[in-house]
Amino acid sequence: MATNPMTQFEVYRIGPEIKVGAFDISFTNASLFMVISSIAILIIFNLGSKKNSLLPNKLQLLAELSYTFISKMIGDTAGSQARPYFAFIFSLFMFVLFCNMFGMIPYTFTVTSHIIVTFMLASFIFIGVTIIGFIKHGFGYLKLFVPSGVPAVLLPLIVIIEIISYLSRPISLSVRLFANMMAGHTMMKVFGGFVVSLGIVGGWLPLSFSVALTGLEILVAFLQAYVFAILTCIYLNDALNLHH
Amino acid sequence: MPKNQFKTRLQIAKDKLSKKNLDSKNQNSSSFGAAFKLSTELVAAVAVGTIIGFILDKTFGTKPWLIIIFFFVGVVSGIINVIRSAKKMQR
Repeated sequence: MATNPMTQFEVYRIGPEIKVGAFDISFTNASLFMVISSIAILIIFNLGSKKNSLLPNKLQLLAELSYTFISKMIGDTAGSQARPYFAFIFSLFMFVLFCNMFGMIPYTFTVTSHIIVTFMLASFIFIGVTIIGFIKHGFGYLKLFVPSGVPAVLLPLIVIIEIISYLSRPISLSVRLFANMMAGHTMMKVFGGFVVSLGIVGGWLPLSFSVALTGLEILVAFLQAYVFAILTCIYLNDALNLHH
Repeated sequence: MPKNQFKTRLQIAKDKLSKKNLDSKNQNSSSFGAAFKLSTELVAAVAVGTIIGFILDKTFGTKPWLIIIFFFVGVVSGIINVIRSAKKMQR
């Protein structure tokens, strides 16, 4: 197990096999860790917001800090119009953050290191933002693909380019999170393997690297959740205030 | 009078300080994220362009041509994406 750095990403079934039609919806280790992180979020924020004392304890401080952090981020990037979507962005950020952070604990499974998970999140955001844009502006939302001040000869090419750049949003959003998490965890495993194979004589250098990488990975785990949330805000802003 | 004057000056100084703090904080946290953002934006647009070209090729049966054209269109739109988000960052 220690030799192959990719075995940590293996998805296996826990419990009985459940099939609906052609789809296998059995409970896997990936679903287990999604449930764990959701429950952890629920517990922390329930306890944190239970009693609002003037002098906050650590949990309340954590809950309040993350609340102000996200609300400031939304205010900076998407403005006051995005207020109604606060709950969605907050839970999105918290879910990605907790999945990333639970992955940092040894012997756990990193849910966000699978592209299908991040792509599902990203395509959900993409479809939702598109629907919001159409509801808000009607067919005027299609003006997003037609920038003003373009000569008529170039217009078809520009429209194709704009459509491609619009469609690339969910892919760049999902690939960024997935690639960062997978690359980081693979690298940590590889360095861990070096420690074992070089033994007590030469293993100290990769061990120190491993320690440094762990710190870096915790930073990346937070940062990727932040980037994921802030890009959601930016896309939401594009849909709410149409100006190109 | 001097007391009032002092108060206004204090207020101005406080405003300046808080503004400065806000600016520096924002820059620090989001510039690292922006670097990640730029790198994937370029690649994703190329990938989407190529996929669209591939699908159109299959439906119309014009085997190599549309995928080549859409690959380059994807490159262009990727570069435009990067320029656009870089401009957004400068503001």
